Amino acid sequence: MSTAPLSFDPADFEPVAVERKTQTMSRPSLSYWQDAWRRLKANRRALISLYIVVALALFTLGGPLVWTVDPATQDLDQVSQPPGLPPTAVIVTPYQPWAGVTATLPAQNAGVAKEATAAIRLAEPATTQAVRIAWDPVVSAAGYRVYRNVYSPEPDRALGLPLAEVFNPEQVSFEDRLDLRPGRYWYSIVLLDASGGEATQYTTLQVEVARVTSAEEAVVFGWVDDAATLQPGDALELPYHPLGTDYLGRDMLARLMYGARVSLLIGIVAPLLFVVAGIAYGSAAGFIGGRLDQGMMRFADFVVALPFLLFMILFKIAFGIGPGESGIMPMLVALVILGWPATARLVRGQILQIREEGYIAASQLLGAKTSYLIMRHMIPNTMGVILVTLTFAVPSVIFTEAFLSFIGMGVAPPIPSWGSMCNEGIRTMLSHPHELIFPALFISVTVLAFNLLGDGMRDALDVRMRGRE
Amino acid sequence: MLRYTIRRLVQGVITVWFIATTTFVAMHMVPGDPLTSERATTVEIRRNLEERYGLDRPIFEQYVIYVGNMARGDFGISFTQQNRRVNDIIREHFPISATLGILAITFAAFGGILWGALTALYRNQLPDVAIMFLVILAISVPSFVLAALGQITLVNINAGLGVTVLPVAGWGTVQHMIVPSLVLGLGTMAFLTRLMRSSMLEIMNADFIRTARAKGLPPTRIFLKHQLRNAALPVVTVLGPAIAAITTGGFVVELVFAIPGLGRYFVQAVQQLDYTVIMGTTVFYGAFLVVMVIIVDLVYGLVDARVRMA
Amino acid sequence: MPIRSEISSDDPPVLTVDDLHVEFDTYGGIVKAVRGVSFNVRAGKTLAIVGESGCGKSVTVQSIMGLIPMPPGRITRGTAMFEGVDVIKQKIINGQDIRGDRVGMIFQDPMSSLNPTMRVGDQIAETLQVHRGYSHKQAFARAVDLLGETRIPEPAARARQYPFTFSGGMLQRAMIAMAIACEPSILVADEPTTAIDVTTQAQILDLLLELQSKTGMAVVLITHNLGVVARMADDVAVMYAGEIVEKGSADDIFYRASHPYTLGLQGAMPSNDPEREQGLQPIEGTPPDMFDPPKGCAYYARCPYAMRLCAQNHPERSPLNPHHYANCWLHHDGAPQDIAPHLFRGETA
Repeated sequence: MSTAPLSFDPADFEPVAVERKTQTMSRPSLSYWQDAWRRLKANRRALISLYIVVALALFTLGGPLVWTVDPATQDLDQVSQPPGLPPTAVIVTPYQPWAGVTATLPAQNAGVAKEATAAIRLAEPATTQAVRIAWDPVVSAAGYRVYRNVYSPEPDRALGLPLAEVFNPEQVSFEDRLDLRPGRYWYSIVLLDASGGEATQYTTLQVEVARVTSAEEAVVFGWVDDAATLQPGDALELPYHPLGTDYLGRDMLARLMYGARVSLLIGIVAPLLFVVAGIAYGSAAGFIGGRLDQGMMRFADFVVALPFLLFMILFKIAFGIGPGESGIMPMLVALVILGWPATARLVRGQILQIREEGYIAASQLLGAKTSYLIMRHMIPNTMGVILVTLTFAVPSVIFTEAFLSFIGMGVAPPIPSWGSMCNEGIRTMLSHPHELIFPALFISVTVLAFNLLGDGMRDALDVRMRGRE
Repeated sequence: MLRYTIRRLVQGVITVWFIATTTFVAMHMVPGDPLTSERATTVEIRRNLEERYGLDRPIFEQYVIYVGNMARGDFGISFTQQNRRVNDIIREHFPISATLGILAITFAAFGGILWGALTALYRNQLPDVAIMFLVILAISVPSFVLAALGQITLVNINAGLGVTVLPVAGWGTVQHMIVPSLVLGLGTMAFLTRLMRSSMLEIMNADFIRTARAKGLPPTRIFLKHQLRNAALPVVTVLGPAIAAITTGGFVVELVFAIPGLGRYFVQAVQQLDYTVIMGTTVFYGAFLVVMVIIVDLVYGLVDARVRMA
Repeated sequence: MPIRSEISSDDPPVLTVDDLHVEFDTYGGIVKAVRGVSFNVRAGKTLAIVGESGCGKSVTVQSIMGLIPMPPGRITRGTAMFEGVDVIKQKIINGQDIRGDRVGMIFQDPMSSLNPTMRVGDQIAETLQVHRGYSHKQAFARAVDLLGETRIPEPAARARQYPFTFSGGMLQRAMIAMAIACEPSILVADEPTTAIDVTTQAQILDLLLELQSKTGMAVVLITHNLGVVARMADDVAVMYAGEIVEKGSADDIFYRASHPYTLGLQGAMPSNDPEREQGLQPIEGTPPDMFDPPKGCAYYARCPYAMRLCAQNHPERSPLNPHHYANCWLHHDGAPQDIAPHLFRGETA
């Protein structure tokens, strides 16, 4: 209200014929789906999940076209290799036996202090062809024992693998050719007394073993075709496994890609099938109503009570699949046969609810036929529920497949699936965690993405959430 | 209330019968009767089976015998462990699995309701964000990985502290029960937390909460008597199926933590195709589940009067 | 007309609301739902707030009672003085929350306004336990009495039942019982009869009147139904687009309507008056967009008597007698007297 009195002239009071048009709303009008899409986009987590799902689809479908390594090929040279940079091997001349190092012991004299340990050194650079170590002789020792470990022996005196015992006090060297892998080893020397007992103290040498190969070996392994192209000193790039290899030397990345196909195939096909079945069943029940509806729902309740594992096994036998063979088909069949009731119940509930809504009656009063009602009213309104169910069914099925493969009821080797990869990975969990981490990570991210996407879709499509921005 | 109980019990019996029948039908529809396949090698066992199951008699008689056996609770003899009665296997090992499962579900239910309510009350603030992050992790990671991770963590804790805080495997004392039931219940607890959260958010905006505020009730009272009570209902409903999920997950936990429960035997039987054990355990588990679902429904009927009338 | 207790109109009002402004944040912008509402509630009298859907009448009372979630809602201005305290800022007087104690409230849909998992008697007893410190037994016994007072048959049995066994009308009576349990000085009724059939409506209103005469409590009645207003109201405030456009006694509003909107409402009311010849006359058009309320008179777009200045100039309050005013330029000295013949323009002095 103004404090100063307004003054008007008589013209202001002329009656005005106002066009009584409806006020234009400053909010744009949106259709249900546009609104839902807007809300979904605004939900950051759901959007990111959508991107992840798309990326996953690309990975699964397009991945093997780009990364063409065969998941079944075993690269025995790189077993259980953790992820890293492409390994290179230096070309060297073929192996030549080593003469070793001998030393003459100094004369026993009382004045020399008894050294308890022998100092070790590398006689030559350590390679995968041979690790040659030598040590200083110790007067009091009757012999030496050589150990090798992949961890440092400190502090528990975990010396590792005993490689050799040297009872000739003049021989103060050792050549290790046992299963050498590029990496770090700890060699330890322990003095032995005459009866073969070990001294308590020891010396350790940390050794970095470099990967080498000879030209001939390179041909044998299939890394080059012609040995003549290689000269000693060249660096040869070995087959690269960006995510490492598993316990049989198979490339992790390729296995993950193929495993994705299996897991996602089941994870998408099965839900599609049982959701469609559920829709058909549920809408029939909801539409018909009455006693038939009650009966149909009772039957659905019973199906829910059926034990999944048992039926999977039974189908497996029925399809004539033996214990070592792949169980994808029975898994699919069992999933579909036992999975439809949940969707059926949901859809039926929706249909029942929609049937009672005012707009259905209004539409009928205006002369709408049943088919129009179904197409125009019922299906779009159930779509939301169906989409959300689908999106949540996928991770659930992926979990089930992973679980079944984990206990050995799913796909059989060599076909990879994320679940069976986890199974294999758990065995080497402590020493080579990457074999478990990658498949578990992939399962988790996939499941997570679908779950968040389902959440986002439900928030976007659920009418009741609309008032709650 | 009584009528409701009776109705649920009758339904339960019919359901178990349905499970048993379907199992029987499925087993016999499979080409090459599994009960007489190479599994049953010795003459002894064949004779036992024929006597027991009447394998030479027509199918319908077999069925009657089968139902009779089931009704008496006689599940037969294990194929692979000769002369070991399935009943004995179940009786020795089921209580362990049951304890594990019940602990896990209790933990999951109370945790789920509590965390869910907290996230709804402190929506979009730190408690909500933190709890929901953990929840999302827990539902995304497969149960077997969680079990394995749980075990590694425990090993490291024990090693790091130099003393066994909690045993890493095995069964026997209360300490043995803690970590496995925690790991087993984690996934379900996460799921229930989400459910409770959305239920609570809905209830928080409900008309009768507005009335409660208009009555000037203190917020604690509104939370406990009006919000929590109504919001927990969907969680209770879902406890029945949740128990089924815990049962399945129990197999893995038993494997990883070396717990001598029924689940481990079941998985072994599955891998070795020991049919009597598979069938017996399945029907037994089915019956157990039905009983648990009935109990949950009865509890729900006590809490929400509307259900009793329907 | 039902007898009401004689309270002098000079008594100080029980509730004085002054210049209330309420806004909401939505994805489309800020909705200005209430734009400067002021009114008094006299002791022992009924104030009816009338208006069409969306005019802001519910938001007005609910925001005063603190029932609007405060994000996204906001009270940007205004006071509501009750017993000497501005209850917008402070709901606790003498250690007790006034809600449920000094001010009772009933709502539109009784079925969803009661806790479905709690017995009706317990819900009524709650108020007494919290505000009066009764034991559960005492409170429950009193709840049964209250159900009897609101004319629910077999109150003792009913108190032990759950809301879903009650009919709509009975539930509303139960809500009333709940609201008056602590003998409040004001009862706020937010569209109490909208969800109920006509015969029951009349019964509920009569019950309210009866309770009012017994206890002397004031009633704030929110409705869009002029019939309800006619039956119950002493004072009437007509709201449109978040503002009060006319306020006066019930007689003033019905017989001496001074705002074109009020006239419009009356014209749209069905009547069994044989003398009326025209049919129902709806008011054309729709209420203005509250994201961007018009600068001038909010009713401009629908007013049959609009003048040029009405578009840009917000009408001032024109008092017609001490208790009756309208916000309309037609009452300005310069306005032509020949348009809007049915409009009451005050006694010629």
